[in-house]
Amino acid sequence: MMRYRLLLIFILALTPVPVLAHKVIFSVFKSGDVIEGELGFSNGDMAVGQVIEVFDTTGAKLGDAVTDEDGFFVYAPTEPVTHVFKADMGAGHVGEVQMAASDVAALLGVAPQDSGASSGAAAPTVASAPQAEEPAAVTIAALTEDERAAIAKAVRDEMRPLRREIAAYREKNDFQTILGGIGYIFGLFGLGFYLAARRRLAT
Amino acid sequence: MHIVDGALSNPVVIGGAVLAAGGIALGLKQMTLERIPATGMLSACFFVASLIHVPIGPSSVHLILNGLAGMILGWAAFPALFVGLLLQAVFFGFGGLTVLGINTLNIAGPAVLAWLLFGRMVERGTPKSGAVWAGIGGAFAVAATTIFVALSLALTGDAFLPAAKLVFFAHLPIMVIEGLLTGAAVYLVSKIRPDLFTTVTGQA
Repeated sequence: MMRYRLLLIFILALTPVPVLAHKVIFSVFKSGDVIEGELGFSNGDMAVGQVIEVFDTTGAKLGDAVTDEDGFFVYAPTEPVTHVFKADMGAGHVGEVQMAASDVAALLGVAPQDSGASSGAAAPTVASAPQAEEPAAVTIAALTEDERAAIAKAVRDEMRPLRREIAAYREKNDFQTILGGIGYIFGLFGLGFYLAARRRLAT
Repeated sequence: MHIVDGALSNPVVIGGAVLAAGGIALGLKQMTLERIPATGMLSACFFVASLIHVPIGPSSVHLILNGLAGMILGWAAFPALFVGLLLQAVFFGFGGLTVLGINTLNIAGPAVLAWLLFGRMVERGTPKSGAVWAGIGGAFAVAATTIFVALSLALTGDAFLPAAKLVFFAHLPIMVIEGLLTGAAVYLVSKIRPDLFTTVTGQA
């Protein structure tokens, strides 16, 4: 048993530096009138030149996007339907994210159209919804379209590192998590040991 | 090495889960009282081993240590690695809960296979020859795991096949590292506590 204890201590001593996993991080968000997304691994490597396929909910292909050297990609939607983004980086590393029809519709400034569900009569009434949701439309009414776009772009640029940091933070495995997992394992096998011992004592 | 949710077709996932359940049942049956502490310890080793990343070129691969688990536990590697995988999925998001079965099969299957092929030699040989066989077993288990992963990807769709071959070559360094690590661990165990092998495998 001593050897395992030593091995375990050795392994634990190594963990604080490389505690990152091969997990795919894939996210999409609205960016002006296009969909912007980010693709990479949780160890900080971004997927470069990765083809991302875009489908609707029925599985019909809508188009492609390719990531740049920072793992960013831009896709300009044409249809206000739910967009499903799929990336296959090989070796079982796949990612899939969705953007809801209402979000895509808000980008395009048209009514959402959920595959077959929308009827012609309902569309005009829903059409005003995206505009109505536009926050603070009253207070910044004096701004021109260009100014508003510039502010939106500035805010997006400011937010990007923050968003990335949050994503990285969410993927972080800290020491407590590792110790917690080991505790679970010991507890589980301890319980098994107890049950097995009790069974043996009973006979 | 961990296949993620959604990468495999349903028949592969279900088939893997059924086979893994069979392996776990067999492992639990052979897990005697004396074996439980060793099983738990190796389960914990496996749990943390996958956090150790070895940087290779632009990417990195992590240790698996399934060969070591197989060498010492035999069939009991199935429950040990299943628990490790379950907690990895819950705590770190490695793999996923739906693919837990196929992942258990892909990692514990080669462990048992390595034990069936090389376990005898490790038990019988001197500490030195035993360590060499254990090292070969450790490297073999990783190689077999990449093949198992490639197979489960290939069963899902042919498009995966070229990428699946990549898994094997990406893990070549890991095979070397694990071979050395397993050999060293088994050498130490057979020097310090040779009874571990007899009490653990003798009652199988």
